[in-house]
Parts: sequence; C-alpha cells; structure tokens
Amino acid sequence: MQQFFQALFSGLADGSIYASLALALVLIYKATEVINFAQGEMAMFTTYIAYALLTHPHFGHTFSYWPAFFLTLVIAFVFGVGLQRIVIKPLERASVLTVVMATIALLVILNGLAAWIWSPELKFFPSPFPTSTWVIGGVHISKQDTGTFGVTIACVVVLWLFFRFTKLGLAMRAGAVNPVAARLLGVRTSWLLALGWGFAAVLGAVSGMMSAPTNFLSPSMMQAVLIFAFAGAILGGLESPVGAVAGGLGLGVLLSMLGTYVHPVTPELRLPVALLILLVVLLIRPAGLFGRVVVRRV
Amino acid sequence: MKRTFLLLAAALIASAAVVMTAGATSQATPGVTAKSILLEGTFPLSGPASGYAPIPAGMKAYFDYVNSKGGVNGRKINFKYDDDGYNPANTVQITHKYVEQDHAFALVGGLGTEPQTAVRQYLNDNKVPQLFVSTGATTFDRDWGVYPWTIGWQPDYEAEGAIYGKYIVKNFPTAKLGVLYQNDDYGNDYLRGLKAGLTQQHQTQIVLAAPYDLSSSPPTAQVAALKASGADTFVIFATPTPTIQSYVIATKLGWTPAHVITNSVSATDAFLTIATKSGSTITNGTLTVSYLLDPSNPIYNKQAGMKLYRQIMAKFDPKGNANDGLNLYGVAKAWTAVKVLQAAGKNLTRAGLMKAARNMTFTAKLKNANPFALPGVDIHTKGGYQYPISQVTLVQYNNNVFQPLGKLINGRGA
Amino acid sequence: MRSRLGYIGFAVLVAAVVVAPLVSTHYRTYQLAFVAIYLIALLGLNILTGFTGQISLGHGAFLGVGAYVTTILVVDHGWNDLLTLPVAGVVAGVAGLAFGLPATRFAGPYLALATFAIPLSFIGLLKRFPHFTGGTLGKQLPSVHSQFGIHANSSVWIYWVSWIVALVMFLLAFMLVRGRLGRALRSVRDSEIAATASGVSTAGVKTLAFGISAFFCGIAGGLFAIAVTYVNPDTFPIDLSILLLVGIVLGGAGSLSGMIFGALFVEFIRITWGPALLDLFSQVHHINTRAPGSSLVVYGVVLLLVLYIAPAGAAGLVRQLLTGKTAVAAWAKQGRTAAEDQA
Repeated sequence: MQQFFQALFSGLADGSIYASLALALVLIYKATEVINFAQGEMAMFTTYIAYALLTHPHFGHTFSYWPAFFLTLVIAFVFGVGLQRIVIKPLERASVLTVVMATIALLVILNGLAAWIWSPELKFFPSPFPTSTWVIGGVHISKQDTGTFGVTIACVVVLWLFFRFTKLGLAMRAGAVNPVAARLLGVRTSWLLALGWGFAAVLGAVSGMMSAPTNFLSPSMMQAVLIFAFAGAILGGLESPVGAVAGGLGLGVLLSMLGTYVHPVTPELRLPVALLILLVVLLIRPAGLFGRVVVRRV
Repeated sequence: MKRTFLLLAAALIASAAVVMTAGATSQATPGVTAKSILLEGTFPLSGPASGYAPIPAGMKAYFDYVNSKGGVNGRKINFKYDDDGYNPANTVQITHKYVEQDHAFALVGGLGTEPQTAVRQYLNDNKVPQLFVSTGATTFDRDWGVYPWTIGWQPDYEAEGAIYGKYIVKNFPTAKLGVLYQNDDYGNDYLRGLKAGLTQQHQTQIVLAAPYDLSSSPPTAQVAALKASGADTFVIFATPTPTIQSYVIATKLGWTPAHVITNSVSATDAFLTIATKSGSTITNGTLTVSYLLDPSNPIYNKQAGMKLYRQIMAKFDPKGNANDGLNLYGVAKAWTAVKVLQAAGKNLTRAGLMKAARNMTFTAKLKNANPFALPGVDIHTKGGYQYPISQVTLVQYNNNVFQPLGKLINGRGA
Repeated sequence: MRSRLGYIGFAVLVAAVVVAPLVSTHYRTYQLAFVAIYLIALLGLNILTGFTGQISLGHGAFLGVGAYVTTILVVDHGWNDLLTLPVAGVVAGVAGLAFGLPATRFAGPYLALATFAIPLSFIGLLKRFPHFTGGTLGKQLPSVHSQFGIHANSSVWIYWVSWIVALVMFLLAFMLVRGRLGRALRSVRDSEIAATASGVSTAGVKTLAFGISAFFCGIAGGLFAIAVTYVNPDTFPIDLSILLLVGIVLGGAGSLSGMIFGALFVEFIRITWGPALLDLFSQVHHINTRAPGSSLVVYGVVLLLVLYIAPAGAAGLVRQLLTGKTAVAAWAKQGRTAAEDQA
C-alpha cells in the first residue's frame, strides 16, 4: 500500500508539470487551431530568465526565490504576448503548415539563444521546497513533490477563475468559440490571441521552474516534458482545458504506476510507453477522452 | 505548366549561383603556406552535447598565444572549427569540406566517438591526419595499424576502468561493487576495463552491474537494484546527467555506500556541486581520476602550467570561464599539436606530421612534459605503443576540491 | 504533360544536372548529391503533406529505415549497394503502410503528434537490437567508389547515382499525382466529406499516401547511407524530420518542382549558408559566432524570414508572379491550392 501512495504522489507531481504545459498547448490550440511546438522552449527560456534573476544582481539587488518566481511569470506573460504579436501575427493568413513551421523556427531560435546567452552546460536550479520527506503511515511523501503539485495546480486554478469570472476571461472564451460573432460584439479578437499566448507562456514558465530542480537546467531540459505534455493534451482532447489537465495528471500517475508495478517497464521505456498509450487511446476515442468529435457539414 | 517551367528555371539559376562559389585552389602541401598552417575540427556546438564547447575555445586560445610568439617555424596557426551537432552525417559533410574545399593541413581535436568514427575511413583514404580526437574510445589508439592517420590523446576509457579495478584490488579487496553503466560503447568500454583491472581473481567483487539506456528518465530502478544487491561501493560509468541523478536517487533511497567511484567525464566540480545542491549526501568522498591540472583546485595555483594557463585565458579568451577544466583540456591538447608541428620541421608534410605524432616523447625525465598535465604525466608514443596518455592519479572529492591520492597509475602497463 | 513548356522545363533540369559537375568543385558536387537525396525524400513527403494534407513529423525515420536496410545488406550480406535501394524503399514503404493503417483514424494535429512518435520509437528500436543494428556505434559502410568499370571521382559518382535516381523518382511522383490517385489525394486534402461522398475511400487513400511517401524516403535513405558511409541512431534525430518538413514548406507544399528549392535549402542552410552568415556577422559585430547555439539561431531566423517573404514557399512566390497578384492578395489566399496543383 505504501508503494501505491508513493507512486501516486510522485506521479501526481510529474503529472502536474505535464498538465501545466498541456494546458498551455490547449489554450493556444483552442484559440488558433495551431499547435505551438515552441511551448517547451518558451518554458525553458523563461526558466533561464528566472535563473538569471536568482543568480545575478539586477539593479543592485539579488532576488530571492518567490519574488523571482512571480517576476518571471510577469516577464513570461509579456514575452508570450510579444512573440504572438511579432512572430505569429504576420502569418495569420497563411496555411496551418506555415504557422506550424513558424513555431518550429521559434523552437530552434529559443534553443540556440538560451545556449548562446547562458552557455549550455548543466546548471543547478533551486526548488523552493525542502528535499526532505514527510512520513505518514509509513509512506514517504516528498515535500518537493507536494509543493510542485500545489504550485502548478494553484496556477491552473487561478487561470480557471480568471476565465470563469472575469469579463476579459469571458471575452477570450467567446473569441475562441466564435471569433466572428465575438468581433461583431466588439471584442478585439486579435489582441485576445496575444493574451492567450501570454497566459500560455506563464503556464509554461511554471512548468519549467517546477521541473528544473530535478531535471537540471539546460537548453534541452523541456524537450521530453513537451512530448509528455503533448501526450497528455491529446489524451484529454486538444479542445478541452479540463481534459488537458486531467490528461497530464493521469499520464503522470499512469506512468508512475506502470514503472512501479510492471517490471518490464524500465525508466527508459517511459516515453515509448506514453506514446503507445496515446496511440491506443486515440484508436478508441480519436478526439481524446474529453474531446468532442466535430461533425462537419458539407 | 508555366509555373513548373519558371520554377525549374529558377532552380537552375539558384543552383548555378550555389555551384559557382568554388573553394580555394590547392597548394603543394594542402593547408600550408609560407606564413600559415590551416587546422580544422568539428565539435558539437549545438544540441545536448554542446557542453563541450569550451574545448575548441581553449584550443584556439592556445594557438593564438603561440601565434603571438611568432607561430611555429615562422608560420601562424589558423585554427577553425564548425558545429556538427554530434550528428555524424553533418560531421561527414563538414569534414569533406575541410579536406576538399578548405584543404586543411590536418584535422585536430575532432569531438565525439561516433562522429569521428564516421569520418575515420575517409580521412585515412585521403591520407589526412585525424589528430588527437576528443574521445576516450579505445579504438582510436588501439587500431592505428588499420587507420595509420588517426590518433587519440586522452587516457582511453578502458584504461580508466582498469585503473579503478587496480585501485580497488589494492585498497578495497573485499568491497562489494555495484556498477551502474551506460548501455553503449562508452559505458561498456569502462566496464570492460574495470573487469580487466580487477583480474580473474577479483571478478566476483562485482555483485551487480546494472545497465542503463541513455534516455530522458532517471536511473531510479537501477540504483534501487544496486542498493538492494548489498553493494557497499557504488561505481558510476555514465554521462553527467544520469550521474548526477544517481547521486540524488541514492540519497533519497537512503543508500550511503562506503565508496563512490565515478568516471572522470562526469565527476567534475560543476556536476558534483549540482548533485550536492540537489540533495545528495554522498558526493563528498567520490573517487575519480585526473591527469590534467585542475583550475578549480587551489593546490595547483603555484604550478607554472597553471599560471601560464590563466594568463592565456585572460588574454586570448577573456569571456571564457577559466575555472572550467574543459578549457584547460583544450589548451593542453593544443600544446601537444604545436609540439608535433614543431617536430615535423620547416618542410611540413602530412606524413611528416603523423610520423612526429607517432614518435612523441614529452616526459618528465626529458624535462619537456606537457606543463598543463599533472606533474609526472608523460605523453609518449613509439612503435607499437600508440596510447599518447595513459597515466592518471586517483583523486578524491571533498568540498569542491579534488585531492590527489598517492602516485600516478598507468592504466596500460605496470 | 499537356504543355510543351513542361517538357522544356524538365529538359532544362536535366541539362542543369548534366552541366553542374563539370563546373563545380568536387566538394560542391558531393553536396549536390545530397540535394538529390533530399529531393527524393521531399517528393515523397510532399505527396503525403502537400497533396493529401497530412502533416508528418516523422518521415526522417523512414529515411533511417531505408538507410539501415541498405547498410545491413551491404555490410553484413555483401550486397551491391545500388541493388539494395529498391529493397530499402519497399521495407520503408511497408513500414509506412503499417503506420498509416491505424493512423488514418486521427485527424490533423492528432496525426501530426502521433507521427512525432515514429522517429523516437525508431531510435529506441535501433538501440534495443544492437546485434542487428550496431547499437549506438552504428555501422560503417565501404567508402564511396565508382563501379561497373567506370573510373570517376567518388563525389562525381555519388552525384550521378543520386541524380539519376532522383530524376526517375521525380517522373514517378509526377505520374502518381497526375492521374486518378492524385485527384483522390487532393480530394482528401480539400474536403474529406466531399471525397467520401464521391466514393473515395479516405482511409485507404491516406494509408496509401503514407506508404508511398515512406517508400520515397526509404530510397533516399539508402542513398544517404551510401553517401555518408556511416549510420547510427544520432544520424536520424527528430531534427531530420523537422528539416524535411522545412523543405516542404519552403519549396511549396503541393508543388513537386518547388521541392528542388526545398532540397537546396535543406542541404545548404546548416552546412554552408548558416556558417557563412555567421562569419559575415562576426566581421561586422565582433561577437563570438562560434558560441554554442549560434548556428541554431541563424538557422531559425533565416527560416522565419523566408516564411515571411514566401509563406507558401518558392512555388507560392512563382504563383504570385504568374497571376500578377499583389503580395497582400497572395497572403490572403490559403497556402493550399486546387486547380493550380501540378508538378
């Protein structure tokens, strides 16, 4: 039983990192029908910004963890908005393939830029949570895992509250569902896309900063996480924010359980197994677990 | 159809433009003019292996230093390098460029076992020196008979593994070894060496050898298995990321082995510090080997080589991190390249260069040893023995510094 | 081909192929051989992505399959390297069909992400069967050498072999998209509902497109192995699949002759133009252009700039020229084309 809870908690922690990035992917996909392949590298880049804030004095002042964390979220938001306005908007009339290619170009640029500015060797990134564990009923629960889960889910919840209860959130949801009608009602849909990228960047930054302590900071640190996030987003259905979060968490837990109880599933098989699960789910439910199958009329 | 025609015509013009940009004309000895020598090399400057980028930077800094003192026999060294991203297909194309377009005199320091293996046949077919490759794969030294134009430099992985074996037999003959090794030629070279060093009698000291496939996931199950095997000595033969993760996982699992032995590539102050900060309690006491001066260890500050190294870095690579041993590795390698260039004489030929490389004697006894290596480390090749460096010293890591333990050990000899 | 201009265009291409090695250095000729190899792969991928509208992020793996088939047959079984090419193509084609069968259930982005799994699985498989594949160290092929009694420089030899195969594959692709199959492919791309209503089996067409595109990539892969003389898992990373997609977009999805531009870009950007741009930049700004990551930044920026200038690729630019529309109007049009699709 102990093993079960330990696997559950560590699975939830990993899963929350995937869920955050998956939600970012879905945010952008819902609004623009484009998969942002650069989401992982944006998360990595903003994590490096946090690293810079934490390790070098700025304006004569070195930041401690939480101030740096929140400042990074703000910077990430601006960064996301900026990228959408400057890089993606000029291509809004082009084909899906072209826009996908633009996000790939962004991926490449951010990866190279991070290595160029901060040099590519592994760096240590602190976690705000202690590395010790609580022992409850014989189960070792890592404080770091709990903290990771808590922070990520808190961000997701805050975002949900924003979308549900603010006018701007309502406008964004309207813009995603029916851009034409929204525009007719006076909603400036173009800027909403930019805001969507901004929020996605914030979610990515959270994902990055929570995963850097265990994966170590390097330009390629988010590449595997991105794939797991894709898998989670697809599992949940690309159109469903709830699905993305559920999918990410579920994938994390499932992989953790498989790794603990099914012995042939060694750690290096995690990625192929995730992809296999993905393929199987898609075969049964091609729009993901929570997705709606869109029926197009001729 | 018009579109097809226009496209094809435009493609023709584009190709013509591409084709016309021809390369340099060939010279008597390629890469050598009255005033310069062209040396080139491929290194991973992008992608997951780009952490090695300080190596060519260090090499360039040293060559610039030598140029500032007049060069080699009146010629300045022109060292250029390109990014192959650790993809052998890129290495092959860039190497063709070096040989057929740039007409480099020699390729020096090329990095990566697989990338350099990919171009080895081509370079040997074309009789271009593949000098001092940056990899410890044993084949580059051992197979000189088949590839006479190729030579390694650093102590090879098998030799390093053997040194650990010898040290264990001498100092912990009853230890139980749990070995985590990367399941590729890198890890297997080390493991083979370890077994050879342990000798027949002590093979059973290895209670479990757990292979690990390099991937995105930490080796949690393997470390758990090693702990469960009752091993009291943790031996790690893996690249940096899984090595650091192993330290952290071991601590999380509550395993405190009496000894930890880690391969030198991964046991650097930078990586071990990350392990400690990430929660490992077993980094102090790590045993590994070293053969070069360590810029992050103050005990070497008084060495002439260290002073020279810092001067060179300050003047010729001020943006580089002089405390990063990879820069010193590059400097030490470039020193060797300059020495063989000098030995090859004023009348430089590729064959002459290889001859010099195969007859190196830079030893403490002759007072011409590499100043950037640990005192006593010789570089020598002769006849059938083509392992340039094979001596190392065991060092122990404590609080950010590697303390030498005892004398130099030769991995390929007594 | 209905118009004489088409024949002339192809003749011009053949003429260019014949003349090029006579006026280039051996090294350039070697690079142009790779242009031919990438062209074959792009023609195949274009059939899937440009003509059938399915984005694939995994075709580098089919290149890898072909490369390993050729390598294993040559190194372990002593086959003549050129004879292995059809086998490489067929094996890769079968793998493509095998993936295509289940994959046709997935729509757009789901398919793209599922194809992401192919190269990752391929690399995993390579490492899991080292006795067969050589594991991480891979396998070495014999040096490129001319055969059949012809004495030619090895670069010239591989150039000719690659271009002859490329021209043949170009004609094959042309014939495929010209006829009924081509119409079926395009109908699936443009409107699956309408296609089904017209009696086209969309699942069958998509599967076939996967198989055909994989076949092309397999042949390209075999030539790739022969030219590089070495294969290992690092040789076929995800970057390769992405690079192929870049070639499609820059050449112009849906245009076969545009692929020549795509192939030129794919070959020259990382090895030649990127470093040249960096050298130029370093002279102006004195920043360290040998810093890690700099080559990637240049590659990405160039890619973005080309996308802004020609969002529908080289073929799109030419279309603009021909139809005389202004840039704004051309950008207002979707990247896909209907009646203008041709070779």
